[in-house]
Amino acid sequence: MSERERALLAVSGLIVRYGRIAAVRGVDLEIRAGEIVSIVGPNGAGKTSLLSAIFGVIPSAGGDVRFAGDRLAGVALEALVGKGIAFVPEGRRIFASLTVAENLALGATVRRDNGQVHADRERLFATFPILAARRRQPAGLLSGGEQQQLAIARALLSRPKLLMLDEPSLGLAPAIIDQVYGLLRGIRAEGVTILLVEQNAERAFALSDRAYVMRGGEFVLNGAPKALSADPRFDAAYFGIGMSGASP
Amino acid sequence: MSQPILQTLADALSVGGLYALTALGIGLIFGIMRLINFAHGELIAIAGYTLLALFGMPPAAAIVAAAAAAMLLALVTERLAFRPLRGADPATLLIASFAVSFFLQKTLILFVGARPKGIDFLPLLGRQVDALGVRLRSLEIVAIAVSAILLAALSWFLKATRFGLEMRAAAEDFTMARVLGVRANRVIATAFAISGLLAATVSCLVVAETGVVQPRMGLQLTIIAFVGTVIGGLGSLAGAALGGFLVGAATILLQALLPPDLRAFREAFLFLAVTLVLVLRPRGLIPARGLRERI
Amino acid sequence: MLPGRFRRLAPLAALLAIVAAFGLLAGLTPAVTARRATEALIDLVAVVGLYIFVGNSGVLSFGNVAFMAVGAYVSALLTMRPAAKSVFLPDLPEWIAGAEWPPLPSALAAGGAAALLALVAGWPLMRLSGISASIATFAILVITYVVLGNWTAVTGGQNSLMGLPIYVGLWTALAWAAVAILVAFAYQESRSGLLLRASREDEAAAEAAGVHTVRHRLIAFVISGFLSGIAGVLLAHFLGTVRVETFYLDLTFLIVAMLVIGGMRSLTGAVAGALVIAVLKELLRQAEIGVTIDGTVVAAPAGLGDAVLALLMLAIILFRPKGIAGGRELFGGSVEARVVADGEVDPLRR
Repeated sequence: MSERERALLAVSGLIVRYGRIAAVRGVDLEIRAGEIVSIVGPNGAGKTSLLSAIFGVIPSAGGDVRFAGDRLAGVALEALVGKGIAFVPEGRRIFASLTVAENLALGATVRRDNGQVHADRERLFATFPILAARRRQPAGLLSGGEQQQLAIARALLSRPKLLMLDEPSLGLAPAIIDQVYGLLRGIRAEGVTILLVEQNAERAFALSDRAYVMRGGEFVLNGAPKALSADPRFDAAYFGIGMSGASP
Repeated sequence: MSQPILQTLADALSVGGLYALTALGIGLIFGIMRLINFAHGELIAIAGYTLLALFGMPPAAAIVAAAAAAMLLALVTERLAFRPLRGADPATLLIASFAVSFFLQKTLILFVGARPKGIDFLPLLGRQVDALGVRLRSLEIVAIAVSAILLAALSWFLKATRFGLEMRAAAEDFTMARVLGVRANRVIATAFAISGLLAATVSCLVVAETGVVQPRMGLQLTIIAFVGTVIGGLGSLAGAALGGFLVGAATILLQALLPPDLRAFREAFLFLAVTLVLVLRPRGLIPARGLRERI
Repeated sequence: MLPGRFRRLAPLAALLAIVAAFGLLAGLTPAVTARRATEALIDLVAVVGLYIFVGNSGVLSFGNVAFMAVGAYVSALLTMRPAAKSVFLPDLPEWIAGAEWPPLPSALAAGGAAALLALVAGWPLMRLSGISASIATFAILVITYVVLGNWTAVTGGQNSLMGLPIYVGLWTALAWAAVAILVAFAYQESRSGLLLRASREDEAAAEAAGVHTVRHRLIAFVISGFLSGIAGVLLAHFLGTVRVETFYLDLTFLIVAMLVIGGMRSLTGAVAGALVIAVLKELLRQAEIGVTIDGTVVAAPAGLGDAVLALLMLAIILFRPKGIAGGRELFGGSVEARVVADGEVDPLRR
């Protein structure tokens, strides 16, 4: 119980259904402040559904999600960023018709301290020089990697305690992924907790303190990345070879 | 240029302006909520009947009252009928919008009767004025000016203010805007209020032009403006305004250019054009640069 | 328990029985009520016609009233006495002006004409999705309305055509209502109907399994057009006159409201909507006429009926979106269709 209380994010028994199909079948998860935790698994394992349901973008059919001890159920979507959770969904979802600067400005929607926001924004421009260079351009013109940087920068401007990212490496060239992951390390150094969903287990493992392996809507393995890679069950868990029971 | 040509051009511009404003009112709400507000016609009607009810008062006061009435009705319909349906699938929203429109229309008829009523609103605008060596009615000049000013003001609001930024973001990707903390209710309420304002403006101009108020006065405008929204690209605000303008101007130009026996089929041609756009260019002429599926 | 085949026919039998009972009861009432009941049965044909497309494809159509209009006008042109035609439509081509067909062939031809319009108009439109398709059907309505209303030589334009043979009484309407229900049931149990419903549930899966959604939508649309055309014929030969104004937004709203309130997803819904609204309309009409108490007439204001109908439709959408029937058939349970491999359809009955 005290473990749970100390957790920044605590999920228990989360269920997500689409019609009669259960995409997430009762998942338990917890993250302590300062960690980088990743959820890996094949396509269709339910990772995106899980993340979306934690954040409340899609409804859950059961289970409990607590952030810093407070229940998130019933909290309106737009109130979550005010609590300190920022979400970078799959596909980045930047506003293509708005400029880079405007996209970034939206990250500060809930903040009231204008002077500090300005300072933070300048720091972000320093950290992401590409964005500074293109600040007046429509965001739709940015490359995939640049858009990912914009999405992360935008999320950071809200000064989150927890940053959730859904497949940040999707569709990006390896060199760009290196850059993005480097950024994430830097972010953690500043005290932001990170929850990451990735298909690319190798990359995620290199970055994370802990990982969960998800398959067919449930967590089948979890632990420190080194231990997981060494675990003979890992391949089976990830690829489903030799496992009976749930299919993806 | 000759008088008739200039007259036709002036007509096309002023009617185009009216339809642009109407299409924008519809497009603003569609962009954010994926809801086609058929009830927009009733907003126009309620503004008109407010003018009628307050006849005798100074026009400025009547106009403000009409705007207030339309905006209030817009907010009430949003709160009572559309908010509970937020997130419903587009088909349900479509039917609901249809139902709201009919309910308002029939209720209005219940209270004021179905017969048209005459009203002499802003008669001074009927005067002819010499402009650029041509005689035009001052009403048309006012209509064009008002449309242009309102479009410019709205454009400024959307581009230069924080709230406008939030609305543009919501129009492109509503959920993502909410994820960032943009308050859905405020944005939607503002969109409805603005659409009410636009409806009232159009209503005042129409009443000044036609001198008649009737329960269905907004129907024609809404249907045709809606065509414009589709042609311009559902979800794109600039597209809506442009599409509305083009369609409005087209009604006048078709009137002038079609041979007499085909003139009555104007609307058929317009809807044929809409169907062609839907089939050939479903995203409209100026599709919104959003990544999401529009329809 | 009855064997499976008979069980599947249970909803059909139930609906036919209900409609027959409705008709028989109405036959016992005074002429005025019987007339209202006839109108209700005509509306039923129209709603069932709309349902065949909307219920199976999931796409809302605003255009069916256009098919009603075509049906009405074609039948009028075929059945009006040449003398009457020369009065109202002096510019008709010779071969129509001289024609005077008996009711049934005219009705079938009119239904066929409506079906033809559905085929021609529907062909390019059926691949549009959701809202686009609905907007396109609205375009069909407007275009038809404008064309019929201005093609003065053939339709009389804005003027009414009068002097049509009035052969639609309670029994004719009842017979056609039964036909409509039969046709609708037969379609939704047919392979095309089942495949269409499967694609309604999950279009991507259906396409992947090889189901030609567009083709089946078109089939449904054409059948729907035919029955709507018949409804128009019935209306024309019930009233004895045809006016283009009748076939526009108000009528569209009425049949869409009937279908939504009754429940869009089942034939029972279509029938329920038509009958329930018919009864409701009658009650409201009585309220508007009023009761005479001690010499004063106490009546509801004119137009209340329409407002109440719209409010009811709104209430249904907000509180019971599946309508009265809730997507289920009477005695049938809800029929969902699931696309299994190779486009085979597995109807699940729960």
